[in-house]
Amino acid sequence: MAVNTRVQPALAQPAPRGKTSPYFVAWIMLLVVMLVIGVVSAVHVIINGLGVTNLSDELPWGLWITVDLSSIGLGAGAFTLSAAVYLFGLKRYEAIARAAVLVGLLGYSSAMIALFLDIGRFDRFYYPILYWNVHSVLWEITMCVILYSTVLVIELLPVIVESTPLKNVKLLRDLSHFLHRLMPIVALFGMGLSLLHQSSLGATYGILTARPFWYSPSAPVLFILSAIAAGVSLTLFVTILSGRLLNRQMVPLDVLEGVAKFAGFACLAYLYLKLWSWAATNYYGRVPEQQLGLEILAQFTPYNFTFWFGEVLFGALVPAIFFLWRPLRRNRYALLLAAPMVIAGLVINRWNMTLSGFVIPLDWSPGVGDVFPVNHYEPALVEWGVSLGIVAYSWLAFTLAVRWLKLYPEARALSTGERVYEEEGHGE
Amino acid sequence: MTEDNHTPQPPAQHGDGEHGEQATTVQPTPPKLNLLSRRDFMTLLIGGGASMVLAATLAQPLDTFARDILQARVDGAHEGDPNYRWVMVIDLSKCIGCDYCVWACQATNDTADDMRWNIRVEDQTQLGNTFHVTRPCLHCHHAPCVEVCPVGATYHRADGLVVMNYDRCIGCRYCQTACPYGARTFNFSERSETNPRVPEWGTPEVERRPRGVAEKCTFCIHRIDAGLAKGLMPGVHEEATPACVNICPVNARFFGNINDPNSTVSRIINTTPTLRLREDLGTDPSVYYIPPEGLI
Repeated sequence: MAVNTRVQPALAQPAPRGKTSPYFVAWIMLLVVMLVIGVVSAVHVIINGLGVTNLSDELPWGLWITVDLSSIGLGAGAFTLSAAVYLFGLKRYEAIARAAVLVGLLGYSSAMIALFLDIGRFDRFYYPILYWNVHSVLWEITMCVILYSTVLVIELLPVIVESTPLKNVKLLRDLSHFLHRLMPIVALFGMGLSLLHQSSLGATYGILTARPFWYSPSAPVLFILSAIAAGVSLTLFVTILSGRLLNRQMVPLDVLEGVAKFAGFACLAYLYLKLWSWAATNYYGRVPEQQLGLEILAQFTPYNFTFWFGEVLFGALVPAIFFLWRPLRRNRYALLLAAPMVIAGLVINRWNMTLSGFVIPLDWSPGVGDVFPVNHYEPALVEWGVSLGIVAYSWLAFTLAVRWLKLYPEARALSTGERVYEEEGHGE
Repeated sequence: MTEDNHTPQPPAQHGDGEHGEQATTVQPTPPKLNLLSRRDFMTLLIGGGASMVLAATLAQPLDTFARDILQARVDGAHEGDPNYRWVMVIDLSKCIGCDYCVWACQATNDTADDMRWNIRVEDQTQLGNTFHVTRPCLHCHHAPCVEVCPVGATYHRADGLVVMNYDRCIGCRYCQTACPYGARTFNFSERSETNPRVPEWGTPEVERRPRGVAEKCTFCIHRIDAGLAKGLMPGVHEEATPACVNICPVNARFFGNINDPNSTVSRIINTTPTLRLREDLGTDPSVYYIPPEGLI
C-alpha cells in the first residue's frame, strides 16, 4: 500500500525557488527580529549574570528550564520515528523521519542554548564531561543530550550532503552513504539514549524526596510518554503546515495517518498513567504534605485549571480523539488543530512541573507555625527575550531547511485545485 | 525473519525440481519438527555461552569500577580526617533569637544579607508558644545536594563535612532544588556591596565567591583545618570553632567531634533528647537540636 505513493526522484526536489512570496519574506523578517531580541537579551545575561533574571534562591529554576524541558520533549519525535524506520522496519515512515530528525536536532540545540545561558558559569559548560558524578541524574542527562545530539547530526548529515553542493565531494558522498548504512545501529543507540534521558528529565524532579509535589515514581514515565506524544505531534504539525503553505504533499497520506494514529495512542498512554498517578495520590490515597501543597497551588496559582484543561483535557484527551477518530484524522485542519494542543499540553506540563514544586515552600522547621512564605515567580523581560530568540532560532532553521534541504524525500507538488487531505479514496 | 531457510530438502529435488516425473516418485519426507536448525542451535549456544562468560568475567571489575567512581566523585574521602566527625548541637530551649550567630557568620564568611548561610526563623509549638530556630547547613551524611551535583562540585569529606569546590561548580542550581532545608545560596550577581556586619561582628576570613557559583555554610572549615594543624580542638578552642558557636551569648550552640565519646556534643547527645530536622528524609544531618519546651 505504501508503494503506490512513491514518487520519482525528479519530483523529490526542495520547494521551487525563484518566486519568493511576500508572506515568506515577512515571516523571515519577523523571525529575524525575534532572533535579534534574543541575542540582545543573551548578551545582557552573559555580561551581567543571572541577577538580571527574576530567579531567586527559593525559586532557582524558571522559564528557561521550561524552554529546555519542552524543547527536549518536543524533539522526541526524532528517536520515535527513527526507531520506527530503522529498528522496526516500518520503511514507509522514512518519508517523515528526516523531518523528525531535524525537529529533534533543533529541539536539542535549543535546549542546549537555554541551558548554556541558565548555568551560572557558562565558561564551565563542558565540566560534566570532565568531572563525572554518576549518581546525578543531571549528569546522566547532560551526557545523554550531548551524545544524542551527535546521533542526530549523524542522522541528518546524509540529508545535508544530498541536498547541497556538498554532494559533489566524493568523500562526503561516501561518508553519508556509509552513515546511511549504519543507520540501524545509530537509531538503536539513539533510542537507548532517548529512553534514558527523556525519562531522567522527569526523574530530575521525581527523585527529590524533600518536595512532596515532585517526589513520584511516575514522573519519569510521564515525561517520556508526553515527550513521545508531543514530539511526534510537532513533526506532524510542521509537515502538514509546510505542505499547506508550499502547496505540496510532503508525505504520503497513509504515512501521515499512521503517524497521527500513533500520536493518538501515545496521548492515551500518557493520559492513562497521568490519571492513575493523580488518582493514586490525590483521590484514592492521600499524602498529607502533598495535599497541603495542592491547596497552596489552588490558592495562589492557576495550577488546577491548567492541569485539568491544559494538560489533561486539551493536552491529551481531545487531541487523542482527533488523532484516533478516522473522520477527524483525515481532516487536515483537525490535525493542524490537534497537534498544537498536544504541544501546548507538554509545555504547560513542564511549566507546571517546574514552577509548582518551587511555589510550595519547603517546611523543615520542627514546630507547627506558619514559617515559610509561598514563593512567587514571574519571568523577567530578559528571560522572555532569550526564550523568544530560542524559539525564533528553531523556527527560522526549520523554515530554511524546508526550503533548501530534501527534508521530505517523497514530497510532490499539487496541481491547482487538487484537494489531498480530504480525499478518501485510498484503500478502504 | 520467520521464514525457515534450513528445512532439509530431499537431495533429489535440489536443482532437479522441474522434472515432474522424478518429483512424484520421491517419497514425501515426513514433516519434521524443525524449530531450530543445528546451525541456529550452535549459534545460540556459542553466543549465549560467550555472553554469560563475558558477563561473569566483567561483573566484578565493572562493579568495582562503578563503586570506585561513586566513591571518588561523591565522597571526597581523601580530604578531612576520618577520626573526626563534626557535629553541632543547637539548644532551642535556650535560644533567644538575638541573631548574633547570623551576623557573626555573615561577617566571618562574608555573606550578603539575602544570601545568609546561617538563618533564623520563628516557629511555634503546638500550644502557640514562639521559639526560634537557627539553621546552618546541616552537613547531612546523605546529602541530597551532593547526590544531585552533576560535576561533583559538592562532596563529602571523611570528617562528615559537606564542602564545595567553587572552582568546579557550573552554577546549575540543582543543589538548591534538592536541598530539603533551603541551605543553599547562589551568586546571581557579582558582589560589590560592603558587608554591613563588618567590623562589628567580625572580619571576613574567606574570599568572596565569584558570580555564578552556589555556596553554603562550611562549619567554618578554614578554622577547623587550621586549628587542627596547630593542635587545637574545634569546639574547645575558640580559634578552631565556628564563629556562630563562639558568639552565642546564651551558649545555645555547641560544636565538636561525635566520634569522641567525651566531647561536649557527644555527652549532650547521649544524655539529652535531641531532634534533627526532617529525619524522615533519611538525610542523617550533623546538626542536633535540643527542642524547646512544649515541642512534641
